[in-house]
Amino acid sequence: MSGLNLIQILNGLTFAALLFIVASGFTLIFGLLRIVNLAHGALYLFGGYIAYSVTGMTGNFALGVLSSMLCVALMGVVLDLGLLRFVRGFELRQVLLTLGVAFVLNDLALVIWGGDTFSMPVPEMLRGAVRVGGGFYPKYRLFVLVLGLVVFLALWLLLNRTRLGALIRAGVDDAEMVEAMGINIRRVFLATFMLGASLAGLGGAVGGAFLTLYPTADAEILVFSLAVVIIGGRGSLVGAAVGALLVGLLNSIGQVMFPELAYFVIFGPMAAILAFRPLGLFGRAA
Amino acid sequence: MLEVKNLHSFYGDAHVLHGTTLHVKPGEVVALLGRNGMGKTTLIRSIMRLAQPQVKTGSLLWKGEELLGLSPHEVAKRRIALVPQGRRLFPSLSVTEHLTMLKAASVKEGWTVDRVFEMFPRLAERRSHRGNQLSGGERQMLAVGRALMIDPELVLMDEPSEGLAPVMVQHLETIIANLGKTGLGILLVEQNLYSALAVADRLYVLETGKVVHEVSAAEVRNDQSPLMRFLGVH
Repeated sequence: MSGLNLIQILNGLTFAALLFIVASGFTLIFGLLRIVNLAHGALYLFGGYIAYSVTGMTGNFALGVLSSMLCVALMGVVLDLGLLRFVRGFELRQVLLTLGVAFVLNDLALVIWGGDTFSMPVPEMLRGAVRVGGGFYPKYRLFVLVLGLVVFLALWLLLNRTRLGALIRAGVDDAEMVEAMGINIRRVFLATFMLGASLAGLGGAVGGAFLTLYPTADAEILVFSLAVVIIGGRGSLVGAAVGALLVGLLNSIGQVMFPELAYFVIFGPMAAILAFRPLGLFGRAA
Repeated sequence: MLEVKNLHSFYGDAHVLHGTTLHVKPGEVVALLGRNGMGKTTLIRSIMRLAQPQVKTGSLLWKGEELLGLSPHEVAKRRIALVPQGRRLFPSLSVTEHLTMLKAASVKEGWTVDRVFEMFPRLAERRSHRGNQLSGGERQMLAVGRALMIDPELVLMDEPSEGLAPVMVQHLETIIANLGKTGLGILLVEQNLYSALAVADRLYVLETGKVVHEVSAAEVRNDQSPLMRFLGVH
């Protein structure tokens, strides 16, 4: 295994943690609302820029992250109530609409923040490196790894230990039946859309510090998120976690060992998984 | 209590209900008989206001209030519950979660998780199983229990005995009859005449989207032949 060492594996794991944060939001929306939200990457990028601006103005990293999540969640509300409601039930139109929104948001970001590359400023306590094995590893990336675990745990508890979580899972199984039990499924949808969008915002804010923010970052993260969700299976939290680990590790291994095949290393196995499990590893038929 | 008047429902261009008219009185168990494809499920779905079929004309009065124009959750809020064809349990939810998703376990009014478990001890034994890990009979019990959790005044049951073993069908008949005695109105879609007769106060026969025969269970007990003629059994 030439060139593959602990650092590369940690790089893979931390990238996986970020991918999980972004893709978990994507899979929640995909699973419950049946919307492939192609604007998810744009929400990520917007979240990153907002966090960058707010942190720049206030010098407070946490405030930047929170305002990013809040703003992007609100953008999710506008997207769901303002646009997607008009194409409810038409899957192709929904996808095209979100693609259009992605382009508009991307251009809007270009107008507001320009085409330069920014790096989200990291608070003092997360700067520098810690000793890992025989080398040093950036503290911040380890923070992202921990954050990914925290988000997984929080989402797991939300989905499996709360009534809203039970409603979301039931809605993924059979939304009409949930509605027939007296639940306004639209409200559950909206809450899920906000939650999913805020996770894109969180991803943009924390990812902006080590992947940096630039005009095409949205498309890149979107492609990775799609791969994660397709591998893991629509609407599955555990699937998103496993998919993110797979994509994150394959990505860093691929970059080190087969740099000229970096994309194939991810999308080759994805195609193979799809050939045998068309619904993804943890996916279920609707 | 429920008055269906001259209902015309469509699936796309397919005209399924051709002026269906029937009613269910408070606490009455009414069976809806008819062969496959005659519009029984379409009627149930129309009453529940599910997205398909489309009701084009007619009226659905519930305690004098028009249900047309409401969403399914608003219909359910008016205490009309659905036990759908094929059960439609949630594979991702445990038995208990099916019952607590509407009401916190701490709520003590109306139907509670404990009351449902008391009625269906089998479900209590299976409380942590998921919807798709139950036997056919247990699934049907859970579908009924889930419907009761909205504290209904009327339950729409679409072929609850479908695919069940005879002993389970009998158990279900007892349950339905007992629920009927508690004052719950039940509109029961049933293919099996004898199951229907075992529980119903009144019966309707539906043919190509229209009620062609109405008879009380007492009359059928006296003379089965008119009903048999409408069911195509000679």
